[in-house]
Amino acid sequence: MRKPRMSLTPIFFLLPALALMLPFVIYPIFKTIYFSFLSPDGNFVGLKNYFQVLGSSDIVNLDRFPSSSPPWGALIHNFVWILIHLPITVFLGLLLALLLRREEVKGSSIIKSIVFLGMVIPMIVGGIIIRFLFEKGVGVIPTIFNLFGFESLYKTWTAYPDTALFAVILGSIWLWTGFSMLMYSAGLAAIPKDYYEAAIIDGASPIQIFFYVTFPLLKPVTMVVVSMTLLWELKIFDIVYVATGGGPGGASTVLAIQMWNYFARQLNYNYSAVVAVLLTLLTMIPALWLFRRGRE
Amino acid sequence: MRNGKSILSLFLVGLVAFAVVASGCIGGEETTTTPTETTTTPEQVTLTVIGPWSGAEFDAFKKVIDAFESKYPNIKIEYKTQRAEDLATILPLQFDSKEAPADVIAMWGWFITDMGKKGHVMELNDIINKDDYVSGVLDAVTADGKIYGAPFTAGAKPGFWYRKSFFEKHGLTPPTTWDEFVALLEKIKGIEGIKAPIVTGDSVGWPISDVTEHFLITFGGPELQYKLINGEVKFTDPQVKEIFENRIVPLLKAGYFSEPIEWTSAVTAWWNGDYALYFMGTWLTGMVDDPTDLGMFTLPGAKGMVMAPDYWMIPKYTKHPEEAKLFVKFLATEGQKIHVGTNAGKVATYKNVPIDAYWEPMRDVAKVAQGAVTVPDLDDSIGGEWQQAFWDQLKLLWVEPDRLDEILKILDEKFPKS
Repeated sequence: MRKPRMSLTPIFFLLPALALMLPFVIYPIFKTIYFSFLSPDGNFVGLKNYFQVLGSSDIVNLDRFPSSSPPWGALIHNFVWILIHLPITVFLGLLLALLLRREEVKGSSIIKSIVFLGMVIPMIVGGIIIRFLFEKGVGVIPTIFNLFGFESLYKTWTAYPDTALFAVILGSIWLWTGFSMLMYSAGLAAIPKDYYEAAIIDGASPIQIFFYVTFPLLKPVTMVVVSMTLLWELKIFDIVYVATGGGPGGASTVLAIQMWNYFARQLNYNYSAVVAVLLTLLTMIPALWLFRRGRE
Repeated sequence: MRNGKSILSLFLVGLVAFAVVASGCIGGEETTTTPTETTTTPEQVTLTVIGPWSGAEFDAFKKVIDAFESKYPNIKIEYKTQRAEDLATILPLQFDSKEAPADVIAMWGWFITDMGKKGHVMELNDIINKDDYVSGVLDAVTADGKIYGAPFTAGAKPGFWYRKSFFEKHGLTPPTTWDEFVALLEKIKGIEGIKAPIVTGDSVGWPISDVTEHFLITFGGPELQYKLINGEVKFTDPQVKEIFENRIVPLLKAGYFSEPIEWTSAVTAWWNGDYALYFMGTWLTGMVDDPTDLGMFTLPGAKGMVMAPDYWMIPKYTKHPEEAKLFVKFLATEGQKIHVGTNAGKVATYKNVPIDAYWEPMRDVAKVAQGAVTVPDLDDSIGGEWQQAFWDQLKLLWVEPDRLDEILKILDEKFPKS
């Protein structure tokens, strides 16, 4: 049997996209990698920049982590971000989607719109809102804690190193939960009602229905939500920049902020390139995982 | 007879008009019987200028632009607003590509010098005469005797501002000694409705650095400021540490300073009486409802004052170097006279600006500034990553003063190595 000849037509269709990708995406990626191996005067220094950046307390500060309050280093802050932000946004999004899916929930679409508002707000504005949300005397968060007797939290969260990172993470949860909720709402709407009817006839409890019917069928949605949230958490910049500027004392800085500091403040493009490469590698992990699961 | 005179007059006017038109038609060149000199009709040129001001601040600067355009009708100014923080990310790359987004750009002094040393910025020694300016003002833009930046007006950072009406109402008087200063803060703290005696303006971080510098200059003298800028004295040096330990930290621990709050909202809160004192630059005069109600005092014994000028540079890649130089020279000289007359709240760095030229509420401050030893802004002069670190570490100090040692150590570690 003869092998079918490969058609060149798809390649021709790809050419316009490739023509744009090459100068604006592919070339800068390789140039950035190349820069990360150079000294500021253009000499090849191998992995020296990587060792210096990763050895810097701005990136990893093991002297303070986890016993003292931040700064723990930008890389650790990103991981802390993932540890707190990822499970909460996924869980909250799913919970809200489940609670608001029923048509009998009055005003569900309005509530969904309000929750989704965080996603449509420009992130710069989001950062400003976070700053005011956590400001003593003005913001609702310190006031609520004060009402419940937590006087130590009645302060401007973004001004203190022990609360600044958590303020921006919590603010980000508010901004990002809308995405998770929307994705789960769409996923829930796609599950045929027959499955639920069959489960009810078989005598399944609501909890059993959730764990044996709903959640498994939402697996593709969960994959997308988790991977997209991970990407968001790794590349986070704008809301931190506006809300705290990475401070105080570097207590809320993240990798993207550090990359900007190297680039725009220190004018050290090589260190900046190193952080960019590290960020790209880290973001590739969830992206590749998503890609492989998608193929399966 | 009268008709004859009129005809003769019309004939002469017509002749002159013909001559003018004819001279224009031959490209502006006028030939005479003794033609040793040619005059050229000036070509219309548009200069793109980037500065940091918008809103009311730009309205004040616009008066300078208007005056320049009136003086040089062939040069039109196209103004764009862009902050130094944003420019810092794009200018080095554009300069490396031998491009510039504008013909004249306002930027940090350290940045201008850095770019000048790399050959991207024009030298201005031929238009800036060092003797015409307040001493020290050109240091930030000079390297190896080459002046790369032209100074414009400066925001002086003279001391603590208060409302005269507030002080009168509560029987308060400006202090003359350190003890009186501390007693004043304690007295203010006891006033009902006061959140803290001094409001700490923040967001970017420079308002905290300004008040810190005021303490360093008062208790270490202007020479300490210079030594810190030049890296001759470290932040962990006993002299510096002592100022922090014995002057700033006790005030922070006593709760005399507020938490760092966004500096423009701090203006409103302070003006409304939530706080009594605000350490801020002279531009504050243009931000309050009634500048005549403003009073100001320095820390008792202050020996100097920070003057933070705005600097202009001309990228080498400008297409109009001569016109750009004209504009920059105007900004550095006559432009300053016009600018201090507006409510921008700035003081002149050009010595030939009389007090009469100032906006009235600024005249007293200008007199203080003229009599004081002026020193450059510490973080603006050092710049780079250190500036960011200085702002950030001071924010930390303000909320956790016990971490002073760690903070001073970081400031030394981040200080530029060469």
